[in-house]
Parts: sequence; structure tokens; C-alpha cells
Amino acid sequence: MTLYFLIPLGATFYWSLRGKKDVLGFEAYRKLFADTNFLPSFSQSMVNAVATIFLSLLIVVPTAYWVTLRLPKLRPVIEFITLLPFVIPAVVLVFAIILLYSRPPLLLTATYDSSRVVLICMYVALSFPYMFRSVDNGLRAIDVRTLTEAAQSLGANWVTILFRVIFPNLRVALLSGALLTFAIVIGELTIALYMAQHTLGPYMADLTRSKVYEPSAMAIVAFAITWAAMGIIDFVGRGASRHAQMTDSD
Amino acid sequence: MSYLSISHVTKQFGETVVVDNFNLDIEKGEFVSFLGPSGCGKTTTLRMVAGFEIPTSGTIMLDGKDITDKAPNQRNVGMIFQAYALFPNMTVAENIGFGLRVRKESESAVKERVQEMVNLIGLEKHANKYPYQLSGGQQQRVSLARALAIRPEVLLLDEPLSALDAKIRVSLRAEIRAIQKRLGITAIFVTHDQEEALSISDRIVVMNVGEMEQVGTPFEIYNFPKTQFVANFVGSLNNADAEVVDPANGILAMDGVHFKTAEKDFSNRRKGDKVKISIRPERFSFAAEPMKDNVVDCTIENITFLGSVVRIQILIGKTKFNMDTFNNPFLDLPAIGAHEKVMCSKEAVLVLGSA
Repeated sequence: MTLYFLIPLGATFYWSLRGKKDVLGFEAYRKLFADTNFLPSFSQSMVNAVATIFLSLLIVVPTAYWVTLRLPKLRPVIEFITLLPFVIPAVVLVFAIILLYSRPPLLLTATYDSSRVVLICMYVALSFPYMFRSVDNGLRAIDVRTLTEAAQSLGANWVTILFRVIFPNLRVALLSGALLTFAIVIGELTIALYMAQHTLGPYMADLTRSKVYEPSAMAIVAFAITWAAMGIIDFVGRGASRHAQMTDSD
Repeated sequence: MSYLSISHVTKQFGETVVVDNFNLDIEKGEFVSFLGPSGCGKTTTLRMVAGFEIPTSGTIMLDGKDITDKAPNQRNVGMIFQAYALFPNMTVAENIGFGLRVRKESESAVKERVQEMVNLIGLEKHANKYPYQLSGGQQQRVSLARALAIRPEVLLLDEPLSALDAKIRVSLRAEIRAIQKRLGITAIFVTHDQEEALSISDRIVVMNVGEMEQVGTPFEIYNFPKTQFVANFVGSLNNADAEVVDPANGILAMDGVHFKTAEKDFSNRRKGDKVKISIRPERFSFAAEPMKDNVVDCTIENITFLGSVVRIQILIGKTKFNMDTFNNPFLDLPAIGAHEKVMCSKEAVLVLGSA
């Protein structure tokens, strides 16, 4: 299994180092970062990812919190809705969105920036399965109902409860959902391509068609970003799991 | 007027009546326990006092103010939960100070009160620890300190000892009671553990399927239960069918064996009425005084050693009874199958219903 993963990765890395004839080096990486299209695509994807994470958290956290606290019977319905992006292929989704929003009265794809807003909204929908599950697992792990009631009995209002009790205890769950969303948005190709957006996904596809060594360098950079994201989740998660341990020394 | 008054409170979830016409007046500084089996409505009643549930009808008055519809954060009520409910992201000191900071008290006042509370629960060395670094008993003490820090008008305890092991449970309940007495705070304690309720309370409210069965001191509840349910739920009990023989003199017969009862209303019954009698196991003793009431013949059926108590199963007529006696290693117990005489006072024979 490890070899199945490592051999192609090693081969890709080796190939990315052969940017200069007969010399192993980082020439392909230098060319990649020197490409005038790379950084704009990368930064656009970063901004899209951050906006997606923000909107997704804004929708999912209060929803999951309220479902856990007050409407547990609605959980299966919410879970089904959040799973829809897994069921509907991205290409179907993007064409449906284009059809719906490319004519009045919902003309939202007329300009590049308005299309970008639609793209971010679609990414928010794509992030639901990951974000909802992460947040929901986090909420289940902390007995949200009792903590909320304890805070209420001490005089706290909803804002205080959310920001001083619930969010700090959902740190790992929020980070995990956010980083998974980040990974999806950074590498997404289909929707961005059909929405004519200059993000990292279409840039990588274009690079593959026109260059030899840079696509491999790009793949390694993308892997590095994902690993860094996973490393952060793991690091923060270890701290939190220490918190969750219950000693029983009495 | 009483300090906390719960009047005609009913709570329905859909069609199900969970609490039915609950009435109780609690005085300032009193420690009252709600005792009953799961689903009897004791926790729901407590949650209505806390504000987590709103009564379908009825009113709750606290210190002369109507708090029936007030939000939980607008009542000055401290609550302790079975699951401790300490905030995992805060230290012991931060947990205790949370309610004070929410009330925007000055940082120096918060620190002073936190120190006072930490001293009260004897966790001075643990103030900077997180909940996960404490044992269950320590966590519940922090929970108590956190609830008391805000100087609540009423302290509500929702089965706070259920998650702890037996030894800690006994020591912590004594600690809770001592602190409650020292501070003179009014407290309501919910439990399904009769021993806990008997040992800690000024008064006990025994509840069953949403209704109050009996309210009284632990002594009254245990010794003078008013219903079969209370008698059975609190302590162990022998039940048997009997027939009224002489209502005027309180005589009844069970399998042809005569018992005398001291029940007040017994004279209203008629000869031949079928009744249920109940006798607590510890009210039996081997008959050393043959001239007393209720000296009866029995056969020893079985003997079970329970530590401090020895439970002896005896056959009186055709009915099996349990008889409890203190363990004494220097006294010989009767042999199984032996014929003995046992006795109980007429006050021990409870008549709690018709057969």
C-alpha cells in the first residue's frame, strides 16, 4: 500500500527535478514560481478558499449547533442535504448553476467577479459534507447541551456561550473542516473551468498540456500544501486529545 | 410566604404529562430532595426551576418574584450536573470565575471570590489545572464551587453523585451538605438513590409517574410511608395479603397467623376486608419477650451474609419474609430449617392498601 503511494510520488518528484538537462535540481520549481500566471492563480484560489471556509463555517456551525441542541430529529434531513454534493457530479452541478444564473432575473454570470461569487457559493455547497461532519463530530464529543445549560445557568447569553464555550471546544473540528475545504478548493478543476475562472485547477490543467517538468513540480507543491494542512490538523488534534483525556485517580 | 414556591405546575411533552399538578413550598436554607425512579418527573421539575423547561401551566415564585417564564440566564440559580459540565477549555479557576466574568465583576473581585471558592472545596493546589487533569470527585467539587461562586438564590443539583464511585459518593454528599449548611443556601437535590436522599435532606419529595406521592422528613418517609409505592421505593419491604379479623383492636390474619397493627384508620375497616400489609425486614427480631405483640412462629429458610447486615429468610404461615439483623460474629445464627419465634411491634405492621 505504501509503495503504491510512494512509487508514483517518488517518480513525480524525481521527474520534477529534471528541469535542466543532465542535472538534478529545482529548475522546474524556479520556472513554476517565475511564471506570471502561477501566483495570480494561486492567490485567487487562496482567496476563494478562505471565503468558502468563512461562509461555510457561518452556515454550518450555527446549523449543526442548533440541530444538536434543539432539533435532533432533523439530523437525518440535514445529513442528507449535506451529502448531496457527493451524489450530484460536479459537471451536472455547474451546468445547472450556469443555466439558472445566466439569464434574467438571476443573471449572475455576466462578469468575471459575479461568476466568482457564484463559484465560491458552489464551493460552499461542495464543502458541506466535510464541514458538517467535522463540526457535528466535534459537537457530539463535547456534550454541547450540558455545557450550554451550564453556561446559561451561570448567566451567559447565546453570544457568550458560542464564543467562549462552544467555539473554543470545537477548535479541532473547525480546523479540520476548514482545512479539508481548503484542500478541495485549491485543487478544484471542473467547476472553475466551466465558470471560466483563472484559479489553480485550470492553471494546472493548462500547465500539463504545455509544459514537461513544471506539472510535476506543481503536483509536488500541491502535495506539500495538503500535507502541511494535515500536519496542522494532527498537531492541533494532539493538544485537544490531551484535553479530552479523563483521569480517574480518585 | 415561602422562599421558593412551586404552585400547580404541570409539564406536558405533546400528549404526555410528565409532571402533574406539582405543589411545593421550600423555605430559605432548606435542603429538599426529589426522589423517584427514572421517568417520574423529578429532573423535569428541577429543570423548570432552572428555566431549561417552561411549565405548561402553574407558577414558580422565587423570593417573591415570578420566575416561571424567565430565561435560565436571568434567574440567579446555580446548577450542578451529573456529567460535571466543566468547560474543557478553561482551568479550574477560569471555570469558577466564568459566571462572575459574565456578570462583568471587576477582575480583583473575581480573583478574590475564586480563591474563596477554591479554598472552600479544598482544591487550592489544582486551581490552574484543566478539568481533564482532575478526578471525577474533584471535577464535581469544582462544579459545586462554580455554581456557588455566583451567590445563587437556589442551588440545584441534578444527580450530581451518580457518576462517582461508592466511597467518593458518600464523602462528597457529606461535603455538599456541610457546605450547604455553612452557607445557608436553599438547595434542591434530584436523586434516584434513596440512601442518598435519606442521608442528606431536610425534606424528601417522593415522586412517581409525574405526581408527588409523599413529602416529609427522611424519618417520616422511611418510617411512616403513606403509600405502597413510597414504602416499596424507600428501603426494603415485605408485602403480604391479610384479612381483617378485629377492626376495633387492629387484629388481622395472614395465613391464619394473627398480627396486630397500630394503623390509625384501621378501625374504619370491616371484618373480612382483604388488605395488604407491609413490614420492614429490620423490624423483625428473634422473640426474646414472648408476652409482646406479634410474636409468631417461623421456619428459617435461608441466610444471606451482606456485610454489616445478615438477611434471614423466614417462612411465616405460607408467606416468605425477609428479616434483617446486624452482623455480630460472636452470636450464633439459627440453622436453616430450624423453627424459631420472631416478633415485630404493632407499629411495624403497615396497612397501605386493599388487597
